[in-house]
Amino acid sequence: MNDREDFTLIGRTVLRREDSYLLRGLGQFLDDLPEPNGLIHIAFVPSPYARASILSIDASAALALPGVIAVLTGKDFEGDVKTFAPEIVIDGYREVRRPVVAVDRVNFVGESVAVVLAESPYVAQDALELVEVEYDPLPAVAGIEQSLAADAPVIHEKLGDNLLFKTRFETDGFEQHFAAADLVLEEEFRTGRVTGVMIEPRGCMACPDPVADNFTLWTTTQIPHIVRTAIADHLGMAESALRVAAPAVGGGFGTKAHVYPDELIVVALARRYRRAVKWVQDRREDLLTNIHAREHVLGIQVAVNRDGIIGAVRLDVRTNAGAYPNHPYSCTLEATAAVRMMPGPYKIRNYKYDVCSVATNTAPTGAYRGTGQPSAFLAIEGMMDRIGRKLGIDPAEVRRRNVVRPEEFPYVNVVGVRYDTGSYLPSLERGLEMIGYDAFRKAQPKDRMVDGKYRGIGICNYTEVSGTGAPGWRVRGFAKMPGFDSSRLVIEPDGRITVYVSQADAGQGHYTTFAQIAADRLGARWEDVNVIEGDTSKTPYGTGTFASRGSVVGGGTIIRCSEKVAVKVRRIASYMLDIDPERLVLTKGRVCDKDDPVKGLSLRDVAETAYSMNNLGLPQGEEHGLEATDYYDPPMVTMANGTHVAQVAVDPEDGRVEIERYAVVHDCGRVINPMIVAGQVHGATAQGIGEALMEEIVYDAEGQHLNANLLEYLLPTAMDVPDIDLAHIETPSIDTVAGIKGAAEGGVTGALPALANAVADALSGLGVNITRVPLRPSFILEQIRKARGQVPG
Amino acid sequence: MILEGEWLIPIDRRTVWRALNDPEMLRVCIPGCQSLEKHSDTEFASSIKAAVGPVNATFHAKIGLTDIDPDRGYTIVGEGKGGAAGFARGKAKVDLEDDGEGTRLSYRAEVNIGGKLAQVGSRLIQGTARKLSEQFFRCLTEELSAGSGKPTPEQPAATAAAPSSTNASLVWVVAAILAVAAIGWWFAG
Repeated sequence: MNDREDFTLIGRTVLRREDSYLLRGLGQFLDDLPEPNGLIHIAFVPSPYARASILSIDASAALALPGVIAVLTGKDFEGDVKTFAPEIVIDGYREVRRPVVAVDRVNFVGESVAVVLAESPYVAQDALELVEVEYDPLPAVAGIEQSLAADAPVIHEKLGDNLLFKTRFETDGFEQHFAAADLVLEEEFRTGRVTGVMIEPRGCMACPDPVADNFTLWTTTQIPHIVRTAIADHLGMAESALRVAAPAVGGGFGTKAHVYPDELIVVALARRYRRAVKWVQDRREDLLTNIHAREHVLGIQVAVNRDGIIGAVRLDVRTNAGAYPNHPYSCTLEATAAVRMMPGPYKIRNYKYDVCSVATNTAPTGAYRGTGQPSAFLAIEGMMDRIGRKLGIDPAEVRRRNVVRPEEFPYVNVVGVRYDTGSYLPSLERGLEMIGYDAFRKAQPKDRMVDGKYRGIGICNYTEVSGTGAPGWRVRGFAKMPGFDSSRLVIEPDGRITVYVSQADAGQGHYTTFAQIAADRLGARWEDVNVIEGDTSKTPYGTGTFASRGSVVGGGTIIRCSEKVAVKVRRIASYMLDIDPERLVLTKGRVCDKDDPVKGLSLRDVAETAYSMNNLGLPQGEEHGLEATDYYDPPMVTMANGTHVAQVAVDPEDGRVEIERYAVVHDCGRVINPMIVAGQVHGATAQGIGEALMEEIVYDAEGQHLNANLLEYLLPTAMDVPDIDLAHIETPSIDTVAGIKGAAEGGVTGALPALANAVADALSGLGVNITRVPLRPSFILEQIRKARGQVPG
Repeated sequence: MILEGEWLIPIDRRTVWRALNDPEMLRVCIPGCQSLEKHSDTEFASSIKAAVGPVNATFHAKIGLTDIDPDRGYTIVGEGKGGAAGFARGKAKVDLEDDGEGTRLSYRAEVNIGGKLAQVGSRLIQGTARKLSEQFFRCLTEELSAGSGKPTPEQPAATAAAPSSTNASLVWVVAAILAVAAIGWWFAG
């Protein structure tokens, strides 16, 4: 082993080991897995109607096609698979269950009405077109207002209306505090409907064990343990008989952190036919049926004093749940996220919210990077600018006056969330400095017009919920969300290390960062640590990878587990060396006397003793082996934070927004690998840019999905993403293991409001009021022309 | 969605009317039209083959007529199914009036579309619809002009543009409407 190796690995950039195979095209994704003999390929017949009764399904032409095995309808699954629903326990929630394949009624375009089983994927696709379904179309609702209208068709008739979830909150004496402030500003913000658009759509393959009654489900998931529990529950199987494993997964972003009906279906069919069953999604199905997100309407009223200090906030949030609740977050995730996160980095002590989630004839919505937070910060950060404009105070100064200051931590916010540490003010100041805020403002003319373009600047100062533990999930009604994650760490007989983690990587770099963490704590080389995850048969139980929890909870459990193993290493080494274990340290691949490093042993020497591979015995009472298991349930949440500042130019000729400068200050506590954190910030910022400027799934009033393709669902490309000037501040958490906070979502949360505010600032001279995203050129041009008194063209 | 448009046919209405009674000519002029069948005095079926971008479909339309007034117009109620490609249904009010020497045809249709065509074809539909409706009217005009011995005039500027729809329109919807309109004349004649 190299004596000059620096073993302080947490906080150091090392190159991602997974890139050596991913970049060479050697990653084994779902569709790269070897196919078992006798594999059945399935395809789903999608409903063309948003709401209709199914009158008849004629599969005779499809069945006549050579290679078609069967065509099954919803009724064919009724005995096999329970209707689908998560367990949510929260006031104001009304349960709706979803058949895995529609029975008698379809409720959104793309909902499966039949499943084709065939010998090849091509035959399955051809057969799809031959299945004749007769529908009786029914009136449908697509939008939130439509769904809440008094005469709206009721989607789930037993409920009596379309309200799936409704809750409220109010601090003591709210109305008094609200009335006491000098003035009230009011606005209604809207966010567009978006989705994750992973580079790899979803897919799954269920394989029966040839000799026992066991099954393996390969699936593109971020949450293998939760998938296993859900399938076992809905199919009446033993959890021990099912292995759920994720191969290499090409992006998740929350979209793959759900359990989907197809995952239940392939296992049910594998059980019925005793053959392997595979399904791979295409891009249209991705955009049509995978979880969508956002589409929020946020009415906000801010009672503010003349000095710009907020006295009270009233928030009314309405979210579009789609046709059915998703599994496992139902329809409460974005709703509760938006209202609970809105106070953000600001000292808002008087707060009232009303929030609801409504059923519509659209695809189910759920978790997508940022969950509720981009919308919440669009509202509160938008109001910061409005307060500034109204009172003639610089918007940065309004934020300074309201933000939780460094000396005020730990701070418990108005809904009871503890902010253990944070750098809200330093982060804001740093961001302003990086973009040259003061100079820009000084030079900015009142009409914002410089060189033929309107130029503006926008700020978002955000907090980012990360590493949510069990209490954080319970308080939001998620009765069966474990919250913890776990690891098993083994020092093998050769002294090298294997760590099994309950998480599932979708490109985040776990195989590198988790190795860094274990190596750091065991004084080993990170190259000697092998990370195994995403497989319920290999790792202990856990929650999985979403909601910025990988590094906090996965990293935390590995640290704890490493320390448990280190105790045993010291005990055995102490016996071998006859040195007090308290005097022993693990460093540079050795365990040695902290004052006299020559006195020591290699990890391998200790491991050989532990595995009985030499003539030395173990101390009395010591068991063989050198491993430990750890379950880590983190605090309710740990709050990361940051600031995005965007400078944009809006072209009045074509309505295009050009991002001229972009600064991000990011604080995720203890950084494990700065390069990977930067990658998270860049990627999430790009997605925030997409959501702010171009991405939107469009449904018409009849519930028809009008852009289930990537020509018309616009994603940001390298042409749209500017150079991002990035600075890290490290304010370690005092509540989590090693001070780690999450890093994955802040980019989206920061970018969306910063860009909306920048465009609003640029057009403020014209009197244009920006209250919604996406800000596409056609929309902006229309606003400019209206403001200039020109006929919209 | 609403589809609206009008077309000047430089032939007198009586000639237009008579010509439109010829089902063979309609089959020729309706782009992609494979059949027109009369099921009853007010019920018809038509098959139209249409391609929009990546979506190919044979569109089976059921058509009904109401408010028939052979000289002035009628309302067409239609529903078409393209199987896996999706569906269209709607109604169209068609008016026919004299315009100088010629005939002015105007229509206003309310149409609902759905399925794959809506999902992946929206961007391509406008252009295709424009092309196909031009084809139909040009064909009709040429057939009639040839019959009457008159030269084919330039299209009036007002009608050279696509039907002025407020939304993205669908080629097969337009085709269906045209088929319906044509059947209407044929029947009414």
